[in-house]
Amino acid sequence: MISRVTHQTVQRSTLANLQLNLSRMSDLQGRLSGGKVITKPSDDPAGTAGAMRLRSDLRATEQFARNAADGIGWLNTVDSALNASLASLRRARDLTVQGASSGSLGPTSREAIAIELEGIRDALLDQANTTYLGRSVFAGTSDAGSAFVQGTYDWTGAPSGSVQRRLAPDTTVRADSDGRVAFGEGAASVFALLDGIAADLRSGTDVGPRLAELDTRMTAMLGELADVGSRYNQVMTRQGQIDKAVMDLKGQLSAVEDIDLAEVLVELQSQEVAYQAALGATARVLQPSLLDFLR
Amino acid sequence: MSSFAGLSTALSSLIAQRQALEVAGQNVANANTPGYTRQRADMVSVESLSAPTMFSTKVGAGVGVKVTNVARLGDVFLDARLRSETATSSFSSAQARSLSRLESTLSEPADTGVAASLQAFWAGWQDVANNPQDPAARKVLVGTAGALTTQLASGHRAVETQWDQARTETRTLTTEVNTTAAAVAHLNEQIRSVLVSGGSANELMDQRDLHITRLAGLVGAAARPRDDGTVDVMVGGNALVRGVSVNAIEAQGSYTMAGATAGPSPDPVRLVWANTGTRVELQGGTLSSHLAVLAPATDGGTLARAAASYDDVARTLHDAVNALHRSGYTTTGATGLDFFTLDATRPPALGLSVAVTSDDVAAGGDPTALGPFDGSVADALSRIGASSGGPDALWRDFVVDVGVRTRTAEQRANVTEAARATAENLRLSQTSVDLDEETISMLAYQRAYEGAARVLTVIDEMLDVLINRTGVVGR
Repeated sequence: MISRVTHQTVQRSTLANLQLNLSRMSDLQGRLSGGKVITKPSDDPAGTAGAMRLRSDLRATEQFARNAADGIGWLNTVDSALNASLASLRRARDLTVQGASSGSLGPTSREAIAIELEGIRDALLDQANTTYLGRSVFAGTSDAGSAFVQGTYDWTGAPSGSVQRRLAPDTTVRADSDGRVAFGEGAASVFALLDGIAADLRSGTDVGPRLAELDTRMTAMLGELADVGSRYNQVMTRQGQIDKAVMDLKGQLSAVEDIDLAEVLVELQSQEVAYQAALGATARVLQPSLLDFLR
Repeated sequence: MSSFAGLSTALSSLIAQRQALEVAGQNVANANTPGYTRQRADMVSVESLSAPTMFSTKVGAGVGVKVTNVARLGDVFLDARLRSETATSSFSSAQARSLSRLESTLSEPADTGVAASLQAFWAGWQDVANNPQDPAARKVLVGTAGALTTQLASGHRAVETQWDQARTETRTLTTEVNTTAAAVAHLNEQIRSVLVSGGSANELMDQRDLHITRLAGLVGAAARPRDDGTVDVMVGGNALVRGVSVNAIEAQGSYTMAGATAGPSPDPVRLVWANTGTRVELQGGTLSSHLAVLAPATDGGTLARAAASYDDVARTLHDAVNALHRSGYTTTGATGLDFFTLDATRPPALGLSVAVTSDDVAAGGDPTALGPFDGSVADALSRIGASSGGPDALWRDFVVDVGVRTRTAEQRANVTEAARATAENLRLSQTSVDLDEETISMLAYQRAYEGAARVLTVIDEMLDVLINRTGVVGR
């Protein structure tokens, strides 16, 4: 159908085309100034689903990074406490060997060794009661203030309590250390053992047989230290992975949400040209009328 | 034939050309009047008088010209097409508008939406799991939970506000339909009386067409012309306007979202014929879209479904968090505590609130086995966010669903608007005034007028010869 063309139809279609051009320009400018491809879900519903999932993954992963940093703080504290305890224990073993080997020691010397052993016991108890952010690292879920009670050496932790840090959706790592394994509990504890050796020394009993007990305790402590070390390693590795995952997620989110600056600029440029062409055409089409040419 | 017949022939031309020129002037004057349909003076030559005898024949030329009619150069089929396209496009664009408004209240994807608040809430549980003894972590958690419930409630309220506005608009538009229909009926009456007395009612018809197209945009009305020049306006097979009488419509149903969409017997918003009380079956138009937006969720009401989604998220959050939280113990050993509480008398999204203070956050398992500073329950709670049927997944599904529907509605609105624009363009190309064409018509009529005047002069001179110069031979 050949439609009749009148000034009004020309005017209308010109206006509609100008509107279309202008709205495309404003869309591109909005994208350019906002820096986002997706400003509302309907811009790209599939992309929105992806962006929301990535955001939630990113938030969760950032939390895992916090957990890992916290876990490293705990394990560091445990590690240095165990190392210090081991050094003290070695010194205690040396003293015990000294007390056992020379029957020629006089009561004064034995008393001196006993006093030093008691000092080591106090140092060990201090190490065992190390806290991190107000919590005992060797009785993680206890609210008693110290992992071992002065005097009785009772462990204050809960039987199956442990401090766990979540490093991945399905991975947790233990951040504290079981004080019962590292130091023993009550009469069987390393503190009671040192008390016993000091008492033996004072009473003149041979402390030679006690060395085996000390070695057992030291082995247990070493085992716990190795365990803590491996967990520390695990958290450190995990932290590296988490940092990388955060970077990856940010990159993916940006790929989904953010504009390609060069692409949008080129599009805007060509849209500007189109708009100017439309304006030029409008000026030419709407100007002339038959009235200009009659007389 | 009389000697003076030529004079009246010239006179008839003078009159006819002047009338035609007036019509052209009317066209030029209304070149930009909305709804104006161009007119043309229909001229017919007047045949010569015939002698009233059986065998007489016509002799000589006709006796001039007359304007029989001022024709209105419209096209009822193009009008009908424009109206049906207007009905469809009004419906789609109203749908797109309400969906895009709903979408804008979601504020997703962003760092401030409900999704972000949910994630902050779950991260807060992780912090509590790390430091159950720390009142600060628990306070932060309770604060985030409060922010989350506020955000869900304000989202739900935004939906309600939109519902209320759509409800008010429905009433206003219904009134507009009735007044427009009354205007059509009134114009019908005027047109009929003008036509009966043999006049031209073209301008009245233009006005009536504008009104009917407006009705098409509102309720999808269609026009059915009748022989007496009046037009019936049909909506869903029933007459909104029949001749000079109007059947009013009215909007019924509850004025609150809860009353219209919730409860065992909702009172949905509907359009009925005022005289019979039966439902108006709309086939397009803005009002039809409004009714679809206001409908209960079971009938696919956009806003009711959105509100239900907010409620779902709130209810799931309440159930999932409380189920785990009840199994947890506070640092002081209390257990069986609810973290959230729901006000049963209100929609879940509005009735959800935090039931605990920061001292009553149950982060740990059984204290005798796990110790008072255990964080295993808080850790388990933080995992709800990643569960497949959890509130996060529900919210994400809802946002994406709104996004998809908005996009589809916008595309449909664009397509139907293009179809409407085409129909309007076709109609305009038929009815609108072309100034070039009118200029040429004016030129033609002016020349014809000059010609007729010249004919008059010639006959006058001829008669002058006859009257003043005859019988003066040899004088």
